Amino acid sequence: MMKIELTEDTQKLSREIQSLTGENVNLCYQCRKCSIGCPAVYEMTLKPHEMMRAIQLGLEEEVFQSGTVWICLSCETCNTRCPQDINIVRVIDGLRELVMSGHVDYFNPHPEIPSMHRLFLKLVERYGRIYEMGLALILNLKMVDPFKDIDMAWPMLSRGKLKLLPHKSGGVEELRRVMSKIREIEGES
Amino acid sequence: MRYAYFPGCSLSASAQDYDMSLKWVCRFLGIELQEVRDWVCCGASSAHATSHLLSVAIPAISLSHAEQSGFDQLTAPCLACLSRMKTANQQMGADQALKQKINDLLEDEYQGTVQVLHPLEVILKDVGLDSLGKGVQKRLSGLKVACYYGCVLTRPPKVCQFDNTEYPMSMDNILRSVGMETLDWAYKTECCGVSMTLTRADMVVHLAHKILRAAKEVGADVIAVCCPLCHANLDMRQNQIADRYGERFDIPVLYFTQFLGIVYGAYSRELGFHRLMVSPERALENYGIL
Repeated sequence: MMKIELTEDTQKLSREIQSLTGENVNLCYQCRKCSIGCPAVYEMTLKPHEMMRAIQLGLEEEVFQSGTVWICLSCETCNTRCPQDINIVRVIDGLRELVMSGHVDYFNPHPEIPSMHRLFLKLVERYGRIYEMGLALILNLKMVDPFKDIDMAWPMLSRGKLKLLPHKSGGVEELRRVMSKIREIEGES
Repeated sequence: MRYAYFPGCSLSASAQDYDMSLKWVCRFLGIELQEVRDWVCCGASSAHATSHLLSVAIPAISLSHAEQSGFDQLTAPCLACLSRMKTANQQMGADQALKQKINDLLEDEYQGTVQVLHPLEVILKDVGLDSLGKGVQKRLSGLKVACYYGCVLTRPPKVCQFDNTEYPMSMDNILRSVGMETLDWAYKTECCGVSMTLTRADMVVHLAHKILRAAKEVGADVIAVCCPLCHANLDMRQNQIADRYGERFDIPVLYFTQFLGIVYGAYSRELGFHRLMVSPERALENYGIL
């Protein structure tokens, strides 16, 4: 049987996650309900229950390089079914936060997904609303796939489903102040 | 009853048909909607992937605006907005330190008195199943409907506190009470993957294909949905699904509010039928509607 030494070093990641999210991954006993119900599991190199184990063991590199945190759809199925009541999506969000804030820096097989989140929030900060067409166009250019989903553009336009120009919310100034204060707070910590 | 209305970004752009049909049905049922003053995007999946504080603060801005305007109830028809707002409420309610932190960021303090509800909850609560049948003008009996609820209407139950988590029936019951036939099927709450729609279209096409096939297997003529994001995937991706899997469904996907509008006698144009990708013409031709 493999002997597992729980040292300060191996517990670093699970402790970090606990202080960031309040979730204790050590409660996981590998029942696999999370992975069985996960609709995105077929795209994951590290399945949800395997990721919980990897966090318990402090296998930081495996956790982040698997890219599983970006493939998760946040559909909340695993949370709902976990017999230990671990909020797995919150754990995954905690891992995402570590990447987004630059606390960890590993190879990511799905760089386009955090890029999308950054762009999404940039547009939200500019307009207070999401500008769907702008988001899709800029993202396609960034992914060097300018014609992705182009087959949907004309049917959408002809049915009035695409707004060509962004709409600015009256609440955008307040939103910008909130977002910049949060950047200040989180930059300090 | 009077509700603060949070349409969200989709209903102001790609899902105007949901906005039109929801407003029509609410007017008909005597439910008053008033748009939240200066509402801002809920932050959706990008905020909670970036910073927990941000994911609570962004929806709290709009919630505080609704509270300031004197509302104690708010309805959000999009499941992403609904889930972010319910989560923000639940987390601020459970964690006073977090609530204080958020209030330090906001212009107007948010006391946490605004209850967040999906229009399905509003209709069940304010009108009730027994009264819904009264205004029916058109019968759609014989049309087989698969109700698709999507991922976060009922999950996680701690936050949503609505309907049966794994096998919801609210939409089925509402449509049945106006004389429609809904089906039992296994994919009611299976996620459609919409958060990947701009980055991993292949995953979205794969998941939407499974949902559409499950609906077809139980003999559905149409699918009813209650979220603009589910709608976008299931309605707009059917050509891509046919290209990739060689299986053409042509199943019309309508908002539950479009079905209610039809049975209550609205014109299809008022309900935004002309904006649907898969035309419901063939499925509804025997009912003298279009």
